[in-house]
Amino acid sequence: MISFRYKNRETAIHKLNPFCKLGWVTSIFVIALIINNPIHLLLIFLATLPVVAAARVWREWTLVMKFAFFLCLAIIIINALVSSHGSHVLWRAPFRVPLIGTPVLTVEAVLFGAGMSLRLLAVLSAFAVLTFTTHPDDLMLSMIKMKLPYKSVLVTSLTTRFIPTLIDDVERISDVQRSRGLELDRGNFFQRIRNRMAIIIPLLSNSLDRTVQVAEAMESRAFGQGESRTYYHEIKLNKFDVWILLVSILPLIAGILIRWLGQGDYQYYPTLEKLSFGGLEGLMLALLVLSLCVMVPLAIIKKRIELD
Amino acid sequence: MIKIKDFTFQYGGAEKPALHNINVEIEDGEFVLVTGPSAGGKSSLCRCLNGLIPHFYGGKVAGRVEVQGLNTLEHSTKELATRVGMIFQDPENQLVTQDVEREIAFGLENLAFPRNLIARRIEESMDTLGIAALRYRPVYELSGGEKQKVAIASVLALHPEVLILDEPTSELDPKSAEEVLSIVQRLNDELGITIILVEHRLDRVVQHVDRLIALDGGKIIVDGGTRNVLSHNYQEISAAGIGVPPIIRLAYQLKAKGITDAETPLTVKEGRMMLQEVFQKISGKSPEHDEKSTGKPVIEVEKLWHVYADGPTALRNVSLKINEGDFVAIMGRNASGKTTLVKHFNGLLLPNRGLVSVDGIDTRKTTVAELARKVGFVFQNPNDHLFADTVEEEMGFTLKNLGLEGGEVRMRTDEVLARFKLDKYRKQYPRALSGGQKQRVALASVLAIQPRILVLDEPTRGMEYHLKAELMDFLREYAAQGNTVILVTHDVETVAEYAGRVILLSEGNVVVDGDKRDVLSRALLFSPQINRLVQAFGKYGVPDDILTMAEVLQLLK
Repeated sequence: MISFRYKNRETAIHKLNPFCKLGWVTSIFVIALIINNPIHLLLIFLATLPVVAAARVWREWTLVMKFAFFLCLAIIIINALVSSHGSHVLWRAPFRVPLIGTPVLTVEAVLFGAGMSLRLLAVLSAFAVLTFTTHPDDLMLSMIKMKLPYKSVLVTSLTTRFIPTLIDDVERISDVQRSRGLELDRGNFFQRIRNRMAIIIPLLSNSLDRTVQVAEAMESRAFGQGESRTYYHEIKLNKFDVWILLVSILPLIAGILIRWLGQGDYQYYPTLEKLSFGGLEGLMLALLVLSLCVMVPLAIIKKRIELD
Repeated sequence: MIKIKDFTFQYGGAEKPALHNINVEIEDGEFVLVTGPSAGGKSSLCRCLNGLIPHFYGGKVAGRVEVQGLNTLEHSTKELATRVGMIFQDPENQLVTQDVEREIAFGLENLAFPRNLIARRIEESMDTLGIAALRYRPVYELSGGEKQKVAIASVLALHPEVLILDEPTSELDPKSAEEVLSIVQRLNDELGITIILVEHRLDRVVQHVDRLIALDGGKIIVDGGTRNVLSHNYQEISAAGIGVPPIIRLAYQLKAKGITDAETPLTVKEGRMMLQEVFQKISGKSPEHDEKSTGKPVIEVEKLWHVYADGPTALRNVSLKINEGDFVAIMGRNASGKTTLVKHFNGLLLPNRGLVSVDGIDTRKTTVAELARKVGFVFQNPNDHLFADTVEEEMGFTLKNLGLEGGEVRMRTDEVLARFKLDKYRKQYPRALSGGQKQRVALASVLAIQPRILVLDEPTRGMEYHLKAELMDFLREYAAQGNTVILVTHDVETVAEYAGRVILLSEGNVVVDGDKRDVLSRALLFSPQINRLVQAFGKYGVPDDILTMAEVLQLLK
């Protein structure tokens, strides 16, 4: 089984300061939210690929993208069925659905769904890079540095700590119940859900027991009571990191500028707007994509410098 | 120094006290073994020493507990953490971060120690435990034994004066268990840390400990020097269901018969000294081999290979036959392929190459559910088995899965509940039962189908002595009725006592396959205690394939 977790591959991207990666991901996240234009979104998505390549996390990334693909498909289908805006009708349903009316399938609605999907892909791709290249505890430390409450951050970190254990539990319990003659895929839909209870109940009860034991162990090691705490590992931003951090925010600034100039927007309804690029917008877009990609050479230079 | 005075504790919602009027004083630097049957109060005693009782577990408290001069009622678990360290049974559930170094730092960070001190303590405790090589390894990649060492290192980093270990080895294989125990022994010996070790397998530890405390029903039944207690309070200890090592049992029997009056031996070496005189005068015949099995083959494995998707080759060209009525033990190191092999017997795993047939049916041509009629499979942890609302329904689940209905289900349920003495629990929630009862319910739920072949994967790991004896007696009888019993285990003593045939795996190969007497005797460390004892007397004509106490007694008659 390919594991869905961080693995230290010692690439330049892995060695990048978590704050820089967070800056980069945040930029992509915000730009993808404020910009509507499918060409922009596609370019942003493509701009994440060099980073994925540099981090050598293709296998994990592909898994995320497979999952994202199904999500996108769902978005396109649901949006196309529910939204009746758009003027180029592909198909009109011969029946009425209460509250929604007569479902109408339009070219615009399908493409709108596709545009939204691009947005999702760009964001997921960026998050995949972050989670697969950053040690969960480092991520936790940077969250704490950003003044998020320690206990909530710790809970998140504990959850990731126990995911492998949980996967083992599921495999073991399924073996046990299958050995008792359980066939998961027997019967109708409800029967199948009932079948799974034989796995879910032991899993949940075992996890509950585990929770108490983990709490006990943490308590025994002086956890809690809300006093001050040291963090052994420190995430230090050296001068070079600060520069990288600034560069990682550059695309965000470019994105905001694009929006501020009144561009980057795109109307799907009622008819598709013509895609056009002004000179200034093209320039800004180029800057945006370039500054997203420039993370790779910067990370490599940083790694070189630190090796010296 | 630890002082417990007139201490009584009752968990909130419990009907009777878990600890009843406990009075103990433990000196600095002592190595104390706490033992007793489950639910006897061992864990509760540990919890009251580091303040988990009453700060984490609420309830009714009377009396006082003082640890290194601090009253645990008035000082929080956090304050006590630098004085008392605690290690728990399941290594998995006490590691909270993602890698080893951070794990060791966790407690120190909580105590707000400065960074340079944390760095020093990490180095120290990693070196003490010999785990420096694991430093950056993610926790999920470690083996059970390594995890337990990390847990000990992370507690040791706080420099506790007292270390409490609550059954630290019951989830580990024998080799890791021995490593962990010898580390604990060294911490006591060289660093002078007071050790309180809870353990129900005495054979691993008696030679190391200074003092033995036995708890039963929340009360201290025996407390004293180890050797003294084991010779003078032998009866109380074994009556409480505590498993006494074979050598000590043998010594007790010999003394009772007036054959020897030597001191009770704690190690094999001392046992040999004790028997020197006795054995020099005696010679005899080897005990008879169990009859060669003659039943027809029920499981046939031919040239079986199994390779996990992203893992190592687990089985390499394994061929064997298991016959009707066999009682087979499958043994071997961790990751030697034991579990992989038996999972082929009911189709949970299918051969990558080669053939496995059960009752003449190729496992690739049928389903796990279909094979479940013939092959019952009991896994180690009953908590993975149990999910129904009542014990009765738990039986019904297996039976209905296999297509039985109405009257038949009721009849079989009644039958199996009666056989396992579970009648009075039939309407109870199975997960709320005690450990031993849960084990029985899990076993019953598998045996309700009356499978001709029964596979058990480490059923006795972490199980206390009398429950183990009960289970093994049942299995022996089940095999005697013409059924096949296949046991995956690390427990040499149990195999010596009960099994007929032993298959030894290593690196996915069958290394030895034969009668237990041939496999287990004359081996180096793999032999049971009694065999290691008699091996030295081969030159006097004592048969060196004696495996159990009963056989020695037979010889001396």
